[in-house]
Amino acid sequence: MNRCHLVPDAPPADRADALLLNPSDDVAMALRAIAPGERCKVQAEGEIRFVQVNEAIPFGHKFSVHAISEGSVIRKYGTDIGAAREPIAPGAHVHTHNLVSLRGRR
Amino acid sequence: MKARTFLGFQRPDGTVGTRNHVLILSVGHLTGPAARRAARGLPFAKLVSMPYAGGLFGEDRAVQMRSAVGFCCNPNVGAAVIVGADGPKLEELARDIRARGREVVTICLDDCGHDGLVLSDRLFREAARLQQRISRQRRTPSPLSKLFVGVECGRSDPTSGIVSNPLIGRVADTILDAGGSVVFGETLEWLGAEELLSARAASKEVGQSLLRAVLRREHVAATHGVDLTGNNPNPTNVAAGLTTIEEKSIGSIAKSGSRPIDGVLGIGDRIDAPGLYAMDAPCFTPESLSGFVASGAQLLLFSTGPGNSYVSRLAPTIKLSANPVASRTLTEQLDFDACAVFEGVQTISRSAEALVELAIDVASGSLTWGEIVDEGDEVVSRVGEAL
Repeated sequence: MNRCHLVPDAPPADRADALLLNPSDDVAMALRAIAPGERCKVQAEGEIRFVQVNEAIPFGHKFSVHAISEGSVIRKYGTDIGAAREPIAPGAHVHTHNLVSLRGRR
Repeated sequence: MKARTFLGFQRPDGTVGTRNHVLILSVGHLTGPAARRAARGLPFAKLVSMPYAGGLFGEDRAVQMRSAVGFCCNPNVGAAVIVGADGPKLEELARDIRARGREVVTICLDDCGHDGLVLSDRLFREAARLQQRISRQRRTPSPLSKLFVGVECGRSDPTSGIVSNPLIGRVADTILDAGGSVVFGETLEWLGAEELLSARAASKEVGQSLLRAVLRREHVAATHGVDLTGNNPNPTNVAAGLTTIEEKSIGSIAKSGSRPIDGVLGIGDRIDAPGLYAMDAPCFTPESLSGFVASGAQLLLFSTGPGNSYVSRLAPTIKLSANPVASRTLTEQLDFDACAVFEGVQTISRSAEALVELAIDVASGSLTWGEIVDEGDEVVSRVGEAL
């Protein structure tokens, strides 16, 4: 079996920085650690988008690709994954501090 | 094209083992230490210790009993010895196992003068004789329709949902298309994805069972005030970037592939026809895998993000990850490296074909890392209080 020796911090040069899994998604997934202020290449279905990221995004974490208003549903994989706990600016880290599950509650 | 086969051990009930184990099963922990003493001297035997026995009732007892029967009837078990302190229970288990066309030997502590040393001596000699007998069996070519594969994810990260689980899903489709069987579980990880699953139900009843199972477990979390975030997704998942159960579920159910779902199983329920099954069971890996094995799964596919060393004791467990760091560092844990797909240098179709080939190799006797380093165990869920 071929083993892979690439690390998330050193992807191939022509590689996108993040993935938008579905065109309707609000968040992209970082394919490497992204530093605040980076202009990121986001691979979407059949197109490349660019998003100015304003916070540190660890490998595998999500950032918003546009502004999201407080209370609105957030989508990834083309499916609802929860709701915004507060207004989220474009290029912000989206995680447990601002994205809340809508399930398992009374 | 010639139909693909694997090399397996034919069992009297028509199933085919990917392994040929002597199983030493201790039912109730009164005999656990004596069973362990015997098993220590038998390097080829597989010890499974079910600690609970006394005071069980209802569905909790039923889960324990059918898991014990299921382990003994798993196709990977060539011969089984059950030890325990409760004679009537051992007789009940033996009757159910024989009714399925499988053999079993029982040794009761009552018949050993309640001397653990006598029990371990009898067990040692019995298991040794069985080991010698089954070592004469040979593998023969068997169609992939004889495979029953359990699919699992443990310590997931975002690479699991976009690469490893979809890969497993493709292998699941291949096994099902060949007439084989697949089971997935982890009910809480259907939460948020239940509409996608119920839309694939083979019948209205199956669809309703899927929805009922999810809502029941969600209700349990809600009534006990459990915040799922931090619990499932667990702290490892959250650190890796998964935020909500809905997000984790969508990635998780990709393991089930794309074919219709033929039924919903309870923990360790036997399947009566080939197909794709959903097991309504806890998400915790050891319990989940043992549920599959008790159902009769004889091969497991297990995705992880940053790594998860746990495997089944009775069913070879193929570990894969698409996380580049895990694939670089966990060289004696991961059996299959999917990071080439994550890195965009291999297509998912080619990788899935390689994973099918590995599954056939392992089903035919190639060892997994988990077997080589003897990481495995079996843990049966408790679903109620004891008296």
